[in-house]
Order: sequence, then C-alpha cells, then structure tokens
Amino acid sequence: MAAFNHRYIADFDWVLLALALMVGALGALEISSVQPAPGLWQRHLIWLGVGTGILFLTTLIEYHKFVNAAPVLYLLGLTLLVLVLLIGKEVKGNKSWLGWGSYGGQPSEIAKVFTILLLTHFLSRVRKRPLDLRTTLMAGIMWAIPVGLVFLENDTGSVLSYTSFLLAMLFLAGLRWSWIAAGLAAVIVLVATLIWQWDKIPDGYKKQRILAVYAPEKAAKRFTYQNDQAEIAVGSGGLLGKGIHSGTQGALGFVPEVHTDFIFAVASEELGFVGSIFALTLYLLIITRLIVIARTARDRAGLLLVTGYASLLLYHVAVSVGMVLRLLPIMGIPLPLMSFGGSSVLTTFFALGLAINVRLHRFVN
Amino acid sequence: MRSGKSEVGFDAFEDMRQAVIRLELLRYLTLAIFLALGVRLWWLQVVNHEVYAERAEQNRIRELLIPARRGTIYDRNGKILVDSRPSYNIIVSRKDVKNFDELKELLVENLCDCASEDKAEEQQKKAEYRENLTKRLEAARFEPNYEAIVVKEQASPADVAWVMAHEYEYPELRAEEVPQRYYPHKNFAAHVLGYVGEVSRAELEKGRFSKENGYKLGDIIGKSGVERTYNEILMGRDGMRRVIVDSRGRIQAEIDRIDPIPGRNLYLTLDYEIQKVAEEQADLFLEGRGVIAVMDPNNGEMLAMVSRPDFDPNVFSQRLKEEIEALSADEEKPLFNRAIQGIYPTGSTWKIFMAVAALNEQVITVKESRLQDGGLQIGNYFMSSLSNLGRPDIHLAIVKSADGYFYRLGLKMGIERIEKWTQIFRLGQPTGIDLPNEAAGVPPSREWKAKVNPKDPKWRDYDTAAASIGQGIAITPLQVLRTVAGVAMGGQMVTPHFLLKAEAGIDRQGNWHDEIRYIDEKRFTVPMSREVHETVSKAMWGVVNENGTGGGARVEGFDVSGKTGTAQVASKERAGSKNKDHAWFVSYAPRAKPEIASVVLVENVGFGGTHAAPRAKAIYEAYYRRTRNLPMGTEVQVAKK
Repeated sequence: MAAFNHRYIADFDWVLLALALMVGALGALEISSVQPAPGLWQRHLIWLGVGTGILFLTTLIEYHKFVNAAPVLYLLGLTLLVLVLLIGKEVKGNKSWLGWGSYGGQPSEIAKVFTILLLTHFLSRVRKRPLDLRTTLMAGIMWAIPVGLVFLENDTGSVLSYTSFLLAMLFLAGLRWSWIAAGLAAVIVLVATLIWQWDKIPDGYKKQRILAVYAPEKAAKRFTYQNDQAEIAVGSGGLLGKGIHSGTQGALGFVPEVHTDFIFAVASEELGFVGSIFALTLYLLIITRLIVIARTARDRAGLLLVTGYASLLLYHVAVSVGMVLRLLPIMGIPLPLMSFGGSSVLTTFFALGLAINVRLHRFVN
Repeated sequence: MRSGKSEVGFDAFEDMRQAVIRLELLRYLTLAIFLALGVRLWWLQVVNHEVYAERAEQNRIRELLIPARRGTIYDRNGKILVDSRPSYNIIVSRKDVKNFDELKELLVENLCDCASEDKAEEQQKKAEYRENLTKRLEAARFEPNYEAIVVKEQASPADVAWVMAHEYEYPELRAEEVPQRYYPHKNFAAHVLGYVGEVSRAELEKGRFSKENGYKLGDIIGKSGVERTYNEILMGRDGMRRVIVDSRGRIQAEIDRIDPIPGRNLYLTLDYEIQKVAEEQADLFLEGRGVIAVMDPNNGEMLAMVSRPDFDPNVFSQRLKEEIEALSADEEKPLFNRAIQGIYPTGSTWKIFMAVAALNEQVITVKESRLQDGGLQIGNYFMSSLSNLGRPDIHLAIVKSADGYFYRLGLKMGIERIEKWTQIFRLGQPTGIDLPNEAAGVPPSREWKAKVNPKDPKWRDYDTAAASIGQGIAITPLQVLRTVAGVAMGGQMVTPHFLLKAEAGIDRQGNWHDEIRYIDEKRFTVPMSREVHETVSKAMWGVVNENGTGGGARVEGFDVSGKTGTAQVASKERAGSKNKDHAWFVSYAPRAKPEIASVVLVENVGFGGTHAAPRAKAIYEAYYRRTRNLPMGTEVQVAKK
C-alpha cells in the first residue's frame, strides 16, 4: 500500500487536484457574487476542503478494494434511492433530497459512482470479445435498476447521466462496432420519429422545455423564461465580462437556480468569454487527464472505472453548460465543483480520488 | 488479467489496442463537445453581445410612474372646493406574471370585497370581479408599453397590508400610492366642478385627449365641469423613476428620476357662501328638480350654479361602480347640468326680451305703449289670458305679467322682428360659458317650426302670440339669466364664466405660464336707448316691489328687480307631477347699479312667483347682508306645497 512516502507524493496527480480546486474556487467566487443566501460560498469552500480530504482518503485504499466492494456499495446506493422515494423531500419538482432538516444530501449523486464501480466490477471480468448479448443485457440491468428509481424521482437529468457512463463503459469494454452503428441508427430513427410525430406527443413540462430551446416561439412563456434569462446573462457578459460581483442577471435574481444548476450563467456574465473559456478549459484538462489515466491504467478495471467517471463528468459539464448556453433543454444537473451542493462536490472528489488511485497503481508491482 | 491464461475470443493485446483506439475516440468526442460549447459562447458573448447587453439593461431597469398631483380648485375667496388626497391602487407588474389564471384566482380570493352573509351573493360578486379582472388583463395586452395593470383601486388598508405581507410570495403585486381627486363638500356645486375619470380608449384615438397630445392609458382626466374645461391647467405631467429592480420587481436602487409636474391651481369665480345659500334653497325644490344660477352682471363672473338632482363626484374618483351605474341609469338625469344643458320654455320671463325688442323696434314707444289685454281669438284658437287689465302700458303689463297685452304686442311686431331680436340677443346659441356641453336651445323661428312640424310647417299668428309669452321656445336657464342681466346692464352682454384665475406655473409640455385670468372676448352689446333701459328695468323693479308677481323676492333696501315666469310643460304625455308648470324667476339687484343677477327655475311646481321668487330672495338677502356687513339670520321662507 502506498503511504505518504516519496513515491506517493511523486506519483500523486497534483495537477488534477489543482485543476479541481481551481474549478471549485471559481465556483465559490461566483456563489459569493450571487449570494442567494448568506454563508453559501463559505460552505462551498468547506465542502471543497472536506472533499479534498475524502480524495486523499480514497487514494489510500487500493482501488480494487472499492471495485470488489462494488456489489455492496451498489446495494447501499439502491437502498438510499429507495429511501429517497419513500421519505425523501421534494426540491423543485424532483424528489431527490434525503435527510433530516438541513443535514442530508442527494443520494443519486453517489449512487452514480457506485453504479460505475459495479459495472467496472462486472465488465472487467468479462473476457469475451466482442461483448455478447448476455453481458450487455446484464450491464443493462445494473443500469436499469438505479435508473428506474431516479426516474421515479422525476430526475430526467440523472437518468441520462447513468446512460452516459453505461454507454461509454460498454464501448470501452468492447461493444461490437456493428451494434454501435445499429444503436446510433436507432437513436437517429427515434429522434426523427419524435420530430415527425411531435404534435402527437402529449403536452407536458418536458415537451415545453424542449420547445423552449429549439422552438421558443411555440413554448409557453414561463418555460422560456429561464432559458431567456440564462442566455441574456451569458450574452451580456461580452468578451471580458462585467466583473466579479458586478453581474446583474445573477445577483438580481433573473437567472434561476443561480448558485446550483445555473452557476455557469453567472460565471459567464461576470467573467465574460475569456473567463468562460478558461473555466471550460479547466474542465477539458480534467477530462483529458482522466482519459490519459484510463489509458495508462494497469488493468481493465482501472480503465473502465476512470473512463466511466470521465464520461459522467463530460456529461455533467456538457449538459449543465449546454443548457445555460441554450443548446440543450433545461435539466436539473449540477456543474461539478462549481455548483453549490455537498453531495455533488463530495462525490466528485471521491471519484477523482478513485482516478488518482488508479494512476498511483498504474505500475504493476 | 494477471494470469496470462488465454480464453476463447480474448486477446489481451488486441483488447488493449482496441481500448486505446476507443479512448482516443472518446477524447475526440470530448474535444468536439467543448468546441461546440466554445463556439456557442463566442456566438453569444462576442458576436451578439450588444443584443444581450441591451436586453440585460432592460431587464433590470423599470420605469415607474410618479403620478402628478392634479391642481386644487378654490372658490373666489380661496376656499378649497376640490383637492387630491392619497389613495392606494393594487397593481400587477405584467412582466412578472407567470400564469394569469392563477393570478386571477389569487386576486379574487384575496382582494375582492365580496364577503357576504349570503353565499350566493358572494359567489356572484366574485364572478363579477373575476370578469372585471379578465377585461383589465385583456385590455392591457394590447398596450406594449403599459406594464402595470391596476387590479384594484381604492385599496383598503387591509388590502395594502396583504400585498405587502406577501411581497416575496407574489412579487408581481404592488401597492401604489396615487393621488385621488377628492371633493370635500360632496354634492356641493357638483355640476360646476364636474368629476374625473380614466381617459377612454376612444378619447385616446383622436382629439383633445389623444396619445398625440401626450395622454396615455390610465390617465385621469376631467370628464365634466371645470375639471374638463380646464383639464390642461389642472392636470400635471406624471413623473417617472428609473429604478434597478431584481427579478421580483423589488427596487434595488434609483438611477434616474423625472419629477412630476403638478397641475396648476385654479380659482373659480364661484362664491362658496352664495353657492351654499343656493344649495340650501335648491333643497327646497318641491320636486327636487331645478336650477339656480347666480352671476355678476358686470363681468359675467358666475357666483353660484346649482342643478338638481345632483351627484357626489367622489363616486367617480373612487370608481364606485354600482353608484356610477345608478347615476347614469337614473331617469332624473342627475349628471345633467340643467343650467346649461337643459332647454326649457321660458314662460313670461320672455316678456323682458319682448319689451326690449318692441321698444327698440318702436312697435310701442316709451310714451305710448298701451295695448289691449285679455284673451284673444285667433282663427279657431282662443289664446287665454289670466289677466285683463283693459289697456295697460308696458310697465303694468310687465308688473302684472299680462299675457293678453303681449299676444297683441307680438302680433304687432311680427315674427320677423322677433327672430331678428333673438339673433341680436344671441339666443339659441351657447353663451360660451366655460363648461363643457352647453346646449344651444331653440328660439322661436319659422325655420325651426317647419322642421319639427312637417304637417303644419307654416308659421301662423297663434305661433307668434304663443312665442310672445315664452311658449314654443326652448333655451337654457343660463341664456335667460344672461339676457336679463344684459338688459339690467343697459345692453352690455357678458359671457358667463367660472374661471377667475389659474396660478402661474409649468404646463404639461414644460412651458412656463404666468397667471391666467379670464378674458371675455365674446362680450357684445345689444343696442338699447337709455329710455328703453329705464322703462324695462323700472318695470322689473315693479314686478318685485309694486305688488307685482315677484313680490316674494323683495329685499328691503336692495331694490331687487326681476320677472317671474310660469312655463307650461309642452309635452302631453308627461304624467303625474311632471304635468305641472315650471316656475321661473330671473332677476338682479340693485336696480340702479346691478351687482348680482340670478335665475331660478323649479321644474313642475307651478307659479314662478310662489316657487321661484322666494329662492332668489334668500340669495339676495344673504348677499346683501354680507356685502353691507349686516347681521345674518333672516328666516328663509319655505314654499308651501
């Protein structure tokens, strides 16, 4: 086991941690700017600190132990999701909060990582190439159970995030190219059908949210409002931004959920194009660094684990930023490390810890 | 994997190669996604920055109206007649409304004054309020610049408290202080003062209150009376605050402010004390319908004007819907200013006009004015006369109001000359008083008869005879007053008016105006020799002071002079009390140097001498005592029913 010895310090991915903390600090800065409630940015900093601690702790235990414990962790995750359904609290339409009073969290965040671990556990042992149908179906079932539960929580964003890492991991585990082609074709046909049969789809907030992005003139005003305001925030930021603590769209409350799901809108408004590209670059560096770690992993477990998380992170950043930029419909998805929220921050640090863990053990002893 | 054991279909090396390829693809996907986000950011933040910057500005800047205070209206001695006082409106910021239906229900539940013991009635009231709200919200939809919608006027303290308490829950609602027109004396001089109301959509389209002239939906303008005539003076220009608001419309800071320009104050010629006596006298009208108007014959300054039935203008400022509807629907027409809009047969007051015309035309002369009195047969018609004084002269004929004398005088003069003199006196034309909607009326004329009576269009002798005693004529009480006042002044015809002065100040366009005083540009002269004037005024003095028909108006020492009239109500179909004659008394005092002139018309009560003259007496008495510093306190004679 690697202790705090010279080797650990040398091999530890300090760059990745630094990138993560920079993103987190950017988040704290913007939360302090919008200040929806007093003390939030300080709390965000505390979460970053706690998260860093968790990251270090995670690197101390060899990652295969996590992978081997995956079935138990997965069941723990499912239990939390069930509890949420039974006794959870509804927050802005999604029943996803579990806890007593202000103590608690959103189990769906950590359950995602536990599911990645289980898929890693399962897929890393499968030796058939290409993947056969049975393996694919088994992975699908592992995916479907938590997805069913978050679907019942009415959390579309999370449903798709589970899908993102399932597909990435199957892909890396050696899914047949022909199946991939068939899958892509099926998705295209499905999307085409949806567009073709659009008027027959019963109206609902999901339909409205899609309309609000792609055909705003047809959407109800209360659905376009959030998109409009986020778009105005970003656009009004300009090249260099309005300056920290000088934004109006966020600070005056035009942009909704400003410290969580829409934090990027405020960052763009205050930091401008330059600042936004800087933030995106940090994310891009984190994700590419994860991909490098995956490539240099000692074994398939490490590869799949890090790839799974990299794709989850990519999904979160793409969707969270994409919805702020009015490229994607609004889904309640936090921007990892920037959005306020303990569950998301701690889960991210835990997963990054696992990745660094994989890196630390990249050389076969 | 640690074992090198080979399985079917599994090649560790190939597997690794595949993984590297696939990871590489994943990296390209990542780059592609980030590239897309970057391009979109470039598009929003660099290419279209201007558009969004402006939208962000508009987003947070609201223009809030600061309603201008309407000018105060005073009487000639500085007593406040109309003022403004603060009141609250509940308004909705339309921009912040997410769901109009929910909002409507919320308002109906919380702001409707519907609470009632009777549940059915409560539901009914709620339905009405809901419908009212629907209309207002619909109307505002077509007003792009008009953000705030008033959902309740005259909000009670409880309403305001409710809105303020729910500021966070319902940020779209706001209580706004607005100055409200207030008439402290209620019905007092209501027809003179008029009332105010919101400018109508039709008015905004074109004309005086059009958008072109700077009016906007929601503006409160004068709807009648001097409120309307002098609206441009009274009405200020609303100011505006540009404020930074948050998304809930809460004001964060003020960045710009245009102060409202208050309206200018107005002083009327109306004399509160005289108006008060006139109001008290009008209370004695037996049928509750009639007119009292008092004027200074020297300059046309109106000292009082009462029209009954009347109304409380506060009802309009407070927008009491039911009361307003009741006023409009009332068959007695309380909103109608009978003094200037009512047209009546003048009865025997017309004889003053006839006497002046006949003397001027030398049909009779001052020295030789005797004519036969008594009933007169004209063809198949018998024109009756209550009097039969033999061959009275003009003086006695006026004092005793001898119909027979005037039939013959009229016939002798002929309709041509009567028509000529109505034109000289400008009868059948508005006097030009500074009140809106003054009626012209119809003096006797051949043309008019031909028009209204196509079966018998020819003007006949009995038409002339009837016209000579004031029948078949319809003019306003104000015209009667102005005519007699003009005769009293020896032919000097002034324009009745209420404007004494408007205070100096800035108008709605921002231009400075010095104090404005009324300038009588329409005054004219009726030719009248000194002798004619002397004869007629002496006769009018006799009406009051020589056992004439107007003895009821006599005030010791004040030389009241006048003429009574009892006008037959023409229309036969009028039922009941409305069949009775109108009582007239038009007069001035003192005879030698007139200071005050008045007309009293009491509808459907009978003789002018009995019902109208005593009303004038009370006014003269009060005026006389006040101007001569005599103690007040004479008992007012009450008319007997």
